[in-house]
Amino acid sequence: MTSTLEHQTIDPHTQDFLDEAKASKFDFHSISIKAAGDERLKTAINSAVMRQYTGRQLRLLELPDSEGLRTLAGDIKGHALDYLDYYLVQTKQAVERNGGQVHFARTGEEAKRIIFDIIDKANCKSCIKSKSMVSEEIELAHALEARGMDVVETDLGEFIVQIDHDKPSHLVSPIVHKDRASIGKSFAEYFGTPFTDDPEKLTKQARVYLRDKFRRADFGMTGGNFVVAETGQVCVVENEGNARQSITTPRVLVSLIGIEKLVPRLADLAVMLKLLARSATGQPFTVYTNLFGGPQQEGEKDGPEEFHLVFLDNGRTEILGSEYRETLRCIRCGACLNACPIYRKIGGHAYGSIYPGPIGALITPLFQGLGNFKDLPQASSLCGACYEACPVKINIPKHLINMRKDIVSQHLNHPMERVIYRMWAWALKSPFLYGAISAMQKFELRRRAKKTGWVKSVPFPGSGWTQIRDMPAPAAKTFHEMWRGK
Amino acid sequence: MTVLEKVSAALGRTSPLLEAPIPPAISEPLVRLVHSDIGLPELFAKRAEENKMHVTACNVEDLMGHLIGFLRETGCRKIALPISRLLDGLEVVKQLNHAGFEAKRWDQMTLDELYDYDCGVTDVTYAVAETGSLVIRASAKHGRSLSLVPPIHVAILEPKNFLPDLVDVFDRLAKDGGAGNINFITGPSKTSDIEMNLVVGVHGPCQVQLFILQ
Ligand code: SF4
Repeated sequence: MTSTLEHQTIDPHTQDFLDEAKASKFDFHSISIKAAGDERLKTAINSAVMRQYTGRQLRLLELPDSEGLRTLAGDIKGHALDYLDYYLVQTKQAVERNGGQVHFARTGEEAKRIIFDIIDKANCKSCIKSKSMVSEEIELAHALEARGMDVVETDLGEFIVQIDHDKPSHLVSPIVHKDRASIGKSFAEYFGTPFTDDPEKLTKQARVYLRDKFRRADFGMTGGNFVVAETGQVCVVENEGNARQSITTPRVLVSLIGIEKLVPRLADLAVMLKLLARSATGQPFTVYTNLFGGPQQEGEKDGPEEFHLVFLDNGRTEILGSEYRETLRCIRCGACLNACPIYRKIGGHAYGSIYPGPIGALITPLFQGLGNFKDLPQASSLCGACYEACPVKINIPKHLINMRKDIVSQHLNHPMERVIYRMWAWALKSPFLYGAISAMQKFELRRRAKKTGWVKSVPFPGSGWTQIRDMPAPAAKTFHEMWRGK
Repeated sequence: MTVLEKVSAALGRTSPLLEAPIPPAISEPLVRLVHSDIGLPELFAKRAEENKMHVTACNVEDLMGHLIGFLRETGCRKIALPISRLLDGLEVVKQLNHAGFEAKRWDQMTLDELYDYDCGVTDVTYAVAETGSLVIRASAKHGRSLSLVPPIHVAILEPKNFLPDLVDVFDRLAKDGGAGNINFITGPSKTSDIEMNLVVGVHGPCQVQLFILQ
């Protein structure tokens, strides 16, 4: 059985989102309005992420000074970015000392070519892949499948995403948007077994199937949470044991990692790891924390014979050179998603990219062009919950505001918006005009709100506001009038 | 431009920096959670149990009795072990075979054969009291897969294994040097992917039993 499932239908629920996301231009507005109206999705996501969110808050209390530790973690990642050229060279030397090879890829395409090359040279046929955002970013699994390789996602959530032809909707919990009934249905169809929605039974079924894959696979693919520059070791954290399988049993191992994942020293891991699991799932520590940095050592009979570390740029150096450098500190813990009132209402798919939530609203436009995703920086109430949750203290609201400024300065906003603001500026310069316009406004709004005291509809462009909420009627006297009458 | 050149350019340099920068100082009071060396096995045992590992404290003389009892109870037959000073010294392989199990050391099997084993019985490099984690450094003698592939993992811990805090572990690992593979194990393998329901036993061992020697 191959894992390419062309005959399978996508979860109909997700299909809608995907169709709309695919429709030539990304339209955040209509997708998010639709998602927010989807009660099933909202309940599923809310209950799941709220648990992680409260778990995180309790876990942080175990730390003597979580605020100070987050500042330190941010400083460490910030430092590694400020001297990234030095640390990349140091890492390369360390990995080579350990017997591994380091490659640098400028783009996703280049990374794929490098990986195909490794596969062809080593003649690998079957790939076990553990969860990695970077490989999602360049759609590696599809590319490998298209070349006839048997690729299986081994993280349970990602496996379900794969057999459903779905997309992950959260950085840490890829299938928060699915309920167990739909997962049970997918399993019954995929394995041809009787339907069950018991999580225990479903997990066992996947275990048996994937164990056989682990035993036979000759190619392992991982991402990496951190790379330690001084030792050349990659650190991957997980709960299931599938990443450990990917790095242990196949004869060739490739780790595809963004260049921003470096930390200088092993000692830095104590800082980062104490925050990562707590922030992500509210656990004090993940089940498996794996450190690896090269092929088998003398006399070893397991572990890869060949180890390749592929560093991916794919737009990261542009971000590094911009005012948004800080966003590269992100350790993909997902805490900002769980904290975000917008994410909790619309879920991950509405962001139209594999990086959802507040951090996605920032880095998706940076990676894929502000012009294509200019709605995303608006997908925030700027309440600051993401900044408060972030273990490396990325000031997400500040950057979102800056990006909104970029939208205006690059004339990417709606022409109507520009006209209105220009008129506004002109009117504000004249006290007479200002007074006349506000008097007219007040009169009209009070007329519309006559019966209930609430304005329920106004003509375009104000209708954008009243479509989703009512507006209280303005006071009988404006502030100016009150001031004058004093 | 190569990626490295682009990185240097983004940082405002014309060529990669050659002089080692000084990373931020790690202030111990911020990071350290366990401050004392006293009572480490007890703290470790508490944390390990919170992480769904089973812990039995015993004397060296009673170890084999406990171990054989556990393996019979769980229906294990084939047992895999590393080449280890501790386990060899206690003649665990010999005694298990004597008790009717099929026990073999890592040098007597292939990785593929390991998939048919019921249990891996190993020693550990370190045990972290803060998190209840086992730390195992793999080597030619201690296969990476021994604590991963068989469905049950039994670890035997000695008093010298215990370290208070993750801070101490990374300090030791840095001093130990060497590359190779290091695994932190904090419980049986688990997932909460399906509607946040916790299920134990996904791709790694479904059960982890610890014997702490006093
Ligand atoms: S931005 Fe911060 S909170 Fe959000 S995923 Fe990244 S590290 Fe976590």
